[in-house]
Amino acid sequence: MIGLFAVTALLAIVSAVSVVALKNPIHSALGLVAHLLAISAFFAMMDAHFLAAVQIIVYAGAIVVLVVFMLMLLNLKVESRTKGENVLSVLAIIAGGVFLLVAVPVVREAMDSLLVSGSAGAGGTGADMVAVEGTVEAIGRRLFTEYVFLFQASGVLLMAAIVGAVMLAKRESKPQPRELVHGES
Amino acid sequence: MGIEYLILFIEVFVVFNLAMSMSAFCTWVERKGSALIQDRIGANRAGAFFEIENPFLAKGLLTARVFGILFVLLGLSLLILQFGVVSLSGILPPQEVLGGVLIVGILLFGLSMVPFVIRGLGILGVINTLVCDAVKALTKEDFIPNGVSPIIHSLAPVLAALPIFLAFAIIPLAPEFALFGYQIRPQIAELNAGILFFLAMGSMAVYGVALAGWSSNNKFALLGSLRAAAQMISYELALGVALATAILMYGSLDLYAMVEMQGNTWGALQNPCMFIAMIIFFVAGMAETKRGPFDLPESESELVAGYFTEYSGMKFLLFWMGEFTEIALFAIVLALVFFGGWHPLPFLGDFVQFPQNHWASSLIGHMILMGKVVFFCVLQIVIRWTLPRFRYDQLMDLGWKWLLEIAFINLMVLGALRLAGWF
Repeated sequence: MIGLFAVTALLAIVSAVSVVALKNPIHSALGLVAHLLAISAFFAMMDAHFLAAVQIIVYAGAIVVLVVFMLMLLNLKVESRTKGENVLSVLAIIAGGVFLLVAVPVVREAMDSLLVSGSAGAGGTGADMVAVEGTVEAIGRRLFTEYVFLFQASGVLLMAAIVGAVMLAKRESKPQPRELVHGES
Repeated sequence: MGIEYLILFIEVFVVFNLAMSMSAFCTWVERKGSALIQDRIGANRAGAFFEIENPFLAKGLLTARVFGILFVLLGLSLLILQFGVVSLSGILPPQEVLGGVLIVGILLFGLSMVPFVIRGLGILGVINTLVCDAVKALTKEDFIPNGVSPIIHSLAPVLAALPIFLAFAIIPLAPEFALFGYQIRPQIAELNAGILFFLAMGSMAVYGVALAGWSSNNKFALLGSLRAAAQMISYELALGVALATAILMYGSLDLYAMVEMQGNTWGALQNPCMFIAMIIFFVAGMAETKRGPFDLPESESELVAGYFTEYSGMKFLLFWMGEFTEIALFAIVLALVFFGGWHPLPFLGDFVQFPQNHWASSLIGHMILMGKVVFFCVLQIVIRWTLPRFRYDQLMDLGWKWLLEIAFINLMVLGALRLAGWF
């Protein structure tokens, strides 16, 4: 199991790096797919089958497909370096560093508590603990009792996004008034 | 621990072989069945017997061969069924003897047709489809066009076929049985998410098709793959909502549990909502396999061959294997979710009761399931060769404006009725 974990983790890291490092946008998108599949494999290893399936359906199967679809439609070539990229990359490094500063202690704390509770149980590992949490029943119960407000709120948000998308798609491009163009030029 | 892995290995072996042979069967039906529909001879150039015969045989003889093959198959499957029933009952009650006589009669009739069957070359194109096409594909030049990324070009057919084979992992093939003290459930993975895995793998199949067109450096292929990707994304929604209706009805995501709940009445006949969901699932499934009236991605009159224009040899064959396996996959899921799986009778399920946990009733259940699957495979192929192709705007209208709306309303109605306690 630890070997499987190590291989999957390596795959996740390599594919995550390849998303940023590769020049061709389609290759980057494929790297993203591989990364999402690796994350889904982590969920599956923790017996959270529902999360694993939903991860594939929603992210790999819908969102990145749309990304790939758009890239194919636009037929982007290998990206060329632009001027503002250096500034952006410095900003990105700063943001990433700040995120690491915050994230690493949280993850360590979580891992410590997991190891303590895992060894306290009857020879149980972390996976046993999460197993109950990841089932469809457990997630559904949580969603409709504890987090029902957030669930409904995100539903309203998604609805607003869909209406907005339809509005944008349906907006007719008004023909520019002739005299205005003349006046400007 | 070791024996469990052995059982798992055998299950994987059996399921993989089942997927492959269903794909081969669909290929055969596609080639020979379309020949029958269009009044051609079809694939028959390869023979197992060294007998030179005029391949353009009289039509009556062709019909005799078709019926001969069908009778032999029917007789053999009835024989296996009989074997199961006899070993179940232990003794031979009178009606079984009568059934035995009937089966032997059918078998003899079929065998008498055998000379007609093997007289023409190659047993109705079975040899041609199963052996010669594979050898041809393996020995052809593996052509990679200029100016493409060779890795993605080679990866695309694998990505198109692999998810379909993976989806077979959650398919239960028969009721569970006990053998040598081990409880065996013929299902590779008993996932908590169950049928969601099927949807996940179905959505992953888009990548192979999309990348095939993109990596071919060919405008026709790109157009075909754009069409395919848009079509598969569109119809996935209706497919998912139709399955959600079934999930709401059964209250479970596990395919095995779903089949067990149809013991009395088949799922599609339990209430009108389930029947509508079945029809939506069937139509959306045909669109997902990019076949039938939905074969715009490979419409040969417009796009040469669509997304696999630039593929040759085994890579070309992989796309077709993926497609035919997907036909079988959708047929199996349709049979399991809406048509009772291994339960033989649409109504009055209590009328026929097989003993629990016996390997023979499991075998019979498997054969009943496979009979339904074969029926739906043939049905899909007949529809594909019967109906003309949609126009693209009609395809999108059907998916987004009709199927999805009907599926959502259907789901809400069933939910309301269940809340009211009707079903």
